[in-house]
Amino acid sequence: MITGNLFFLYAANFILGLMAGFFMHRSDYCVAGMFRDIFLFRRATMLRFLFLQIIVTMVFFELARRAGLLSLYPFPLLGPPTLTALAGGFLFGIGMVLAGGCVVGTLYRIGAGNVLSIVALVGILAGSALYAEMHPWWSRLAKNAILTRDAITLPQLLGLSPTILIGLITVPAILLFLHWRRRNLWRRSSVADGYIQPGQTALVLAGISLLSYLLNGMPIGVTTTYAKMAAMIEHIIAPDHVDHSAYFSARSLDIIHPDSGAHLAGSGGPYLDTIWAIQFPVIAGIVLGSLLSALHLRELTLRTRLPSRQYAMVLAGGLLLGLASRMASGCNIWHLMGGLPILALQSLLFLAGLLPGCWLGSSILARALSQRPLSSMSAP
Amino acid sequence: MSEKQQHIIAIDMRGQVCPACLLVAMDSMNKNRNALQNGSARLCITTDNREAITTIPSTARNMGYSTRVMKKASFYEICIGIISPEGVEP
Repeated sequence: MITGNLFFLYAANFILGLMAGFFMHRSDYCVAGMFRDIFLFRRATMLRFLFLQIIVTMVFFELARRAGLLSLYPFPLLGPPTLTALAGGFLFGIGMVLAGGCVVGTLYRIGAGNVLSIVALVGILAGSALYAEMHPWWSRLAKNAILTRDAITLPQLLGLSPTILIGLITVPAILLFLHWRRRNLWRRSSVADGYIQPGQTALVLAGISLLSYLLNGMPIGVTTTYAKMAAMIEHIIAPDHVDHSAYFSARSLDIIHPDSGAHLAGSGGPYLDTIWAIQFPVIAGIVLGSLLSALHLRELTLRTRLPSRQYAMVLAGGLLLGLASRMASGCNIWHLMGGLPILALQSLLFLAGLLPGCWLGSSILARALSQRPLSSMSAP
Repeated sequence: MSEKQQHIIAIDMRGQVCPACLLVAMDSMNKNRNALQNGSARLCITTDNREAITTIPSTARNMGYSTRVMKKASFYEICIGIISPEGVEP
């Protein structure tokens, strides 16, 4: 973190969120859809862009580390690898496919007026609150399922310099990207108004991850603040219960930044701490950035007359997302766009769970959506 | 049969969860294959899903249909069948 000034943190993170929301809306950069489409349609068109984003972020982080700009490396809140990250990833995969978007996809869809995404967010908050109830035994399980306490990242585990390992991954990946460029696979032709090529959005998001790491001492995350919002709501109804909750009162972050001397402290509880100052403006920024994009294109819509089956499905998906992000100590944004670029073992386990979860989620989704459609015949 | 005489199979998918729009479009293209292929009907889907505007026309073209996408107010209309890309006079 470059500063302990909370106002500056709010403002800077809000701008990062605004940019992310705007670009994600324009490209419909849906991470849930990227994974789902491999299983549902045997199509990896959009997943290619996420791969690009992860590799570019990997290069950015490594260059910044080599330049001495990342004094917190690996970044805070990343624990040792535990099998519960695998289980969390699995449930998260099911959840994001059923909710029709991940924890951030839901936000930019809310900005564009999608009512189902608002319901998914309600589910996410409920799932986060539910996790607090199971935290005591889940955290014990997580400790017992730790694979090694000696390494947070793959380079640490292998005793290699991150540069060597990242070079071994990024050089072939860049050659593959050039091959795709020759086959003209980066360009998507879309007639959607104001469409931004997803490749550009991938690069912007990689830049946002780097700025977040430099600014906050960690990459983008949002879900601890979902837990905080859930705790704030629950606190109105049952203040004593929240005050005595092991999860809501546990301090997950408590360090002094070596460069600025700023105190980074926070929890999943209902407090306006550093985690809130970093994450809440990103959440608000994504919703507003997408809203501005939708208003500019005159595409803001609010439709509530939708199949009840879909309401139930996104609510269940959201619930799983909220639960799973806490069970895996982070969401897909945190693990894929932050942890994976530094080869965090926890994030690799999350990804290994996410893939079968998305497969299962896709088959549930296909079954749930097959008994509809709302079609009508009309004469010309 | 001219485009003006075609029956319109209209489906409103606005606001629905992803990827219901594409799944329903594929389902409807299969169910109405004969009418769409002999030109007696065209399929018109209204959607506010920006991704569907890209994926539905490309899927339909792969199935041998021509497509037309038009922006109408806050949403898009995707028409599929034997149609001219520019559209007909109202």
